Amino acid sequence: MIRPRPASAIPRGRLRLLAVVLGLGFLVVGGQLAYLQILSGERLAALSDRNRLRLRPIAAPRGILFDRAGLPLADNRPAFTLVVVPREVPDLGALVDRLAALLQTPASELRDRLARVSADSPWPIRLSRGLTLEEVARIEEWRLELPGVTIEVEPQRAYPGVRFAAHVLGYVREASDQDLARSGLRRGDLVGQSGLERLHDEHLRGRDGGEQVEVDAYGRMIRILDRREPVPGAHMWTTIDRRIQQAVEDALGARAGAVVVMDPRNGDVLALTSHPAFPVERFSRPLDRETWLGLVQDPTRPLLNRAVQGLYPPGSLFKIVLAAAALQSQITTPFDRLPCPRQWVFGGRPYHNWEDHDRGALTLHEALQFSCNTYFYQLGLKLGPEKIVQMAEAFGLGRGTDSGLTGERGGLVPSPAWKREALKDKWHPGDTVSLSIGQGLITVTPLQMARMMAAVANGGTLWKPRLVTRVASADGRLVHEEAPRIQGRVEMAPVIFEFLREALGAVVAEGTGKQARVPGVSVGGKTGTAQTHEFKSDADRKRRDQDHAWFAGFAPLDEPQVVVVVFAERAGLGGQVAAPIAREVLKAVFLEKVARAELAR
Amino acid sequence: MFRVDRRLLVQFDWQLLGLAGCLIVAGLVTVSTLVPRLGARQLVALGIATVGAMVILAVDYRTLARWACWGYGFGLMVLLAVLLVGRSALGARRWIAVGPVSLQPSELFKLAFIGTLAVYLASRESSRPGWDRVIVPLALTLPAVALIVKQPDLGTALTLLPVAVALIIVGGARWRHLAMLAGCGLAVLPVFWFLLRDYQRERILVYIDPSRDPLGSAWNVIQAKITIGSGQLGGKGLFGGTQSRLAFLPERHTDFVFAAYAESWGFLGAAALLVVYALLVLRGFEVATTARDTLGTLLATGATVLLAAQALVNLGMVTGLLPVVGIPLPFVSYGGSALLTAVGAVALIANVRMRRFA
Repeated sequence: MIRPRPASAIPRGRLRLLAVVLGLGFLVVGGQLAYLQILSGERLAALSDRNRLRLRPIAAPRGILFDRAGLPLADNRPAFTLVVVPREVPDLGALVDRLAALLQTPASELRDRLARVSADSPWPIRLSRGLTLEEVARIEEWRLELPGVTIEVEPQRAYPGVRFAAHVLGYVREASDQDLARSGLRRGDLVGQSGLERLHDEHLRGRDGGEQVEVDAYGRMIRILDRREPVPGAHMWTTIDRRIQQAVEDALGARAGAVVVMDPRNGDVLALTSHPAFPVERFSRPLDRETWLGLVQDPTRPLLNRAVQGLYPPGSLFKIVLAAAALQSQITTPFDRLPCPRQWVFGGRPYHNWEDHDRGALTLHEALQFSCNTYFYQLGLKLGPEKIVQMAEAFGLGRGTDSGLTGERGGLVPSPAWKREALKDKWHPGDTVSLSIGQGLITVTPLQMARMMAAVANGGTLWKPRLVTRVASADGRLVHEEAPRIQGRVEMAPVIFEFLREALGAVVAEGTGKQARVPGVSVGGKTGTAQTHEFKSDADRKRRDQDHAWFAGFAPLDEPQVVVVVFAERAGLGGQVAAPIAREVLKAVFLEKVARAELAR
Repeated sequence: MFRVDRRLLVQFDWQLLGLAGCLIVAGLVTVSTLVPRLGARQLVALGIATVGAMVILAVDYRTLARWACWGYGFGLMVLLAVLLVGRSALGARRWIAVGPVSLQPSELFKLAFIGTLAVYLASRESSRPGWDRVIVPLALTLPAVALIVKQPDLGTALTLLPVAVALIIVGGARWRHLAMLAGCGLAVLPVFWFLLRDYQRERILVYIDPSRDPLGSAWNVIQAKITIGSGQLGGKGLFGGTQSRLAFLPERHTDFVFAAYAESWGFLGAAALLVVYALLVLRGFEVATTARDTLGTLLATGATVLLAAQALVNLGMVTGLLPVVGIPLPFVSYGGSALLTAVGAVALIANVRMRRFA
């Protein structure tokens, strides 16, 4: 049974080869040991004596955010950071109290930052960022009594204004526990938390470098043993126009609301604002409890980006959708007329126009121009909910724009099917009546309205709102590029678009949007006033100061280059509040034309 | 059932036992002085490993090798299970919990892997050497490597490769085939490299060479070098190791245990440990040469190369010659599964030796 193999079958040579290779490996290790322990032994023993090595992280500068002309929207400037190496501190508790006194911050805040770190950690911990010169001077004065404390100069985010473009740019914060679990981050690293800072955070962040430094007993540097240069973050070129953004924020002023300026030819977002905004720069330093609660509990909700997170009824802006649906389905033609009474009774309930007098029978053109509610109630009923919903969806309403901005919401275009599903309720004709003037359950975001208005202006192309054109590393290599992208197309006869543009031109020229007129530039647009509450009495109905004011328009009329959507929260009538804001924005956009026209006059 | 022939006992390889014993004692002492609590746990693991070694010694290696094939298949499934339900530590899923014990299946899998390759190559010994002697072992290796890399445990995966290569060489593959295979591998790598995006390349580079990350592994390495070097010729003595005791040295009882050992015992102690390893490896090859059949030769070769490769990669990393990949030093590092595997590998070599006449 046992078959001893012939001696020739034993691969002696090959086994010997393996043994030699492995033996050589052990020899090399032995050589390295001799080098370390005998040749360099004394030097290394001296180093270990009182382990006199320090680690100094070198923070990578975060990539710069540029506007479309190359002006910086978010830049870096050097700032002082207070750093502590816990291992070198004999008494951490005493040190924290001392530093708290010197910096005049609550000791609990500093203690929190050391809470998750072991007391003999050799890693430098950032205790406080953005120290003032006085604070630095005070620390330096007590230097000798603060072992283990150093002040490093690190790049910190700098912005053109305290709240400038806050909701677009977003903010950076020190990595939270969740961030740390997610990826190769270290405690104290800055991470983009919202807006564009978050969208391409991975590229913007860069990679930190570091130094291993040998120091003497007093902590003074003797020499650098090893140094890795930080890799700066990639720069980002945005579509924002800093000048227009500034004009938009000036125009909106202190009102709560949002403004979006978009190029209808490619979807570029030239400006986007939401007010009230938060102080961007304040966020890169650790927030104390009060500041945080103040921002979160603020009833004006400064953290809400109203342009993409705010859901509001579109009000009369929605009449554009009705007009398009009616013409496309040939329910009406530009020549047909419907009455526009002061009051219109349906299902035993009176529905009112916003005006107090009867305008007689109007064409669709005139109905848009005067924004006649009673006309559109009747038109809506003739169309039926399906056709209205279909057209609204074609224009991208109730559907997110994929802008990449944090927390963008979709909104809702209610349909009979949706109501049956979600509310377990029948669709009533009254629902159609409300929907016809953009009221009821329908909600949209200002950015969606901009996308829709751009489609009206450009003949039906639904562009993805583009905020970023490219991201390129500091040495010029392209990391990310974004071409304009079409999200959909509204299939309608060109004459219908032509009709809509013409009618919207009339709205501004001699209708409800007169306040949006700009000298030297032809403007088209639509006003909207969205009810936010039920009317209890006739007098109540006249109080419009709690309504949302809308204006969505484009210019120039014949060859639209820019779309402006203004939303003012609980501010009053669209024509009186929102249209003038749009006018100011358009004046800034067409600065030269306006100036020339005013000179000629 | 296990009727052990008395003649086998006479043939037991005391030299092998002595060498492995030296390493285990060195490890136990070092770990116990660093973290006493873990020394006791390691002793328990040693007890379990001894029982395991007895079982391996009692069964003829030809039977063991047959079991190994089943173990290989089962092992692949367990590795898959670890990926899905394993306990993660330090960002990697390597452990699986069996009652109160956490097992690291990829460790024990190594032995089953050696057995399977050896069985296949031994079965082909009388046929003409063709491509099958290269391709089939590789086909057995790569899925396992892929699963372990995915955990991610680059270190363990990398130790399987030298074992596979050694077995293919000793298994009688033609040099021509080996050279062509190596050529293909080298040719494909750069193509693959150019297909990657910049940041992906960067990730791979950091993975292969974490010292690109200046404050992470580079710190470990420079501290390990200081720790080793400061031991100088004679060492600081058992309790004199300031570097390791003060926790400057990271992973001081696991992957970097050798640094702590070298600090205490100096160059003399460290070199002695190297000599013990080298003797163990030489003994392994001697057993492989004198084995009764090809299966025995292959099993002894696989077990020897496994131990040697792990030891060399670990020592290279700790002394700063190789990039940091997490591999324990066999017999010495703290860790039950790793100890079990190392002792198992030695028992396998002893098994082959005991039965060289029977």
